[in-house]
Amino acid sequence: MAKPAVVLVGADKGGVGKTTVSRALVDYLIAHNIPIRAFDTEYPRGTLKRFHPDVTEVVDITSTTDQMKIFDTLASSEAKVTVIDIRAGLLSTTLKALRDIGFLDAAAKTQLTFTVFHILGPSIASLDEIQETASFMDDAHYILVKNFINNTTFFDWDPATYNSYFKQIKDAHEITIPKLNELAYEGVELAAVPYVSFVANKAANGQTAAFSFVLRGYVRHWLGTVWAEFDRVKLIDMVAAETQRKSAARQA
Amino acid sequence: MQGRTPVFIVTSSRPRVGKTLIARALTEFFCVQQRPVLAFDVNPDEFKLIDYLPAHTAAASITDTRGEMALFDQLVLSDQVPKVVDLGHMLFDRFFAVMQQIDFAIEARRRAVVPMVLFVADPDDRARQGYAMLKDRFPDLALVPVLNEAVPQLKRYSGNFPPVSRGGDAVTIPALTPVLRSVIDRRGFSFVAYAAKTTDTTAELYTWMARLFVTFRELEVRLLLGELKPGLKRSA
Repeated sequence: MAKPAVVLVGADKGGVGKTTVSRALVDYLIAHNIPIRAFDTEYPRGTLKRFHPDVTEVVDITSTTDQMKIFDTLASSEAKVTVIDIRAGLLSTTLKALRDIGFLDAAAKTQLTFTVFHILGPSIASLDEIQETASFMDDAHYILVKNFINNTTFFDWDPATYNSYFKQIKDAHEITIPKLNELAYEGVELAAVPYVSFVANKAANGQTAAFSFVLRGYVRHWLGTVWAEFDRVKLIDMVAAETQRKSAARQA
Repeated sequence: MQGRTPVFIVTSSRPRVGKTLIARALTEFFCVQQRPVLAFDVNPDEFKLIDYLPAHTAAASITDTRGEMALFDQLVLSDQVPKVVDLGHMLFDRFFAVMQQIDFAIEARRRAVVPMVLFVADPDDRARQGYAMLKDRFPDLALVPVLNEAVPQLKRYSGNFPPVSRGGDAVTIPALTPVLRSVIDRRGFSFVAYAAKTTDTTAELYTWMARLFVTFRELEVRLLLGELKPGLKRSA
């Protein structure tokens, strides 16, 4: 039986394109035939749920009932990977809570695998976030995400400072999300469908849509680049090594 | 062969090599056969093709995303209407950068849209570079060097444009005498109207047109057969 995997996507600041990364990630895992479920902590409105309604549930991560809903069901759920989109400002809080409920200990004993996507914001303040978050990260896969999707001119940090923070973390990876053409980004937002559906010209109801080929092309190219980054850090091995092997065996 | 939509992109990374003339003649080549055709004038400041063939030509701009959408969304339509793109040298790099960025080739293949680039040669090194760039970045593209006899010293530079397997050998466009050139450059001149009117099939212009149209016919067959070849190999 495969170990359950939990993937947190979070940032301590809002507006850094966190949900963008969650969406690309959910698309990626689904494309690899990995059974997943996702929790959207943008309670009560939900943002991830708008794009992936079938697999997403909106929860209040600060409430104990909802924490139980997520973490007590890890082993019993059909889904082998649980993606949690953490609302802005709650990353450290959530990590603290996870430590308190013994979740991080379980990860340490390798009963489950735990991966954190930490989306970096443009300001120097977020370097301190790295340090704060890193203190919880001893037994997790830690992926720092430089997100350029909405902005081309950030990360003018001093590389030396940045690296000194970065090196403190064991098992840290760094990935870069490139910029996506504004109109293409807007197009997907308006369509409220997964990136993969947009590329395939499918509307939310499954019918053929009339999205612009050019915009779809931009999204396909962008998504390909993002997935290549996930491939590069061997994300599948991190979250679903055993599931993957099993499905490979079945195919053989 | 039915169901395919050919897209001819007439271009060069150099100005004044006869792109618009070739695009005009190619568009009218379809008109003569009473086939529908759609031409796009992609030149940054002065539109030329659209002045000659307003009924068949749309002005296109690719300086912003909306312009790109207007052009490429049409080019990828599988409506079986041949498309002719007159692509100016100023937008040469931009056009092919977009084409690569949006993975035009993948979608085109899926929809049986078959693009062919007619690259008009020129002695300048920038033409050689432009051609080499297309050859490197689009190895699967049907790329055909077009040697225009009106661009002087053809023999000296034709070696800069080695044929690629998907496109085939270079084609040559014969030069016209300056007098005739000034006749066809007149606004409102139409090859179709001329061919319908003329009784002298030995006239220089008529012979020139006939040669050109035979070349176009050959290119179209080359394009459509080239698309068939892989299929034939598989079934063999």
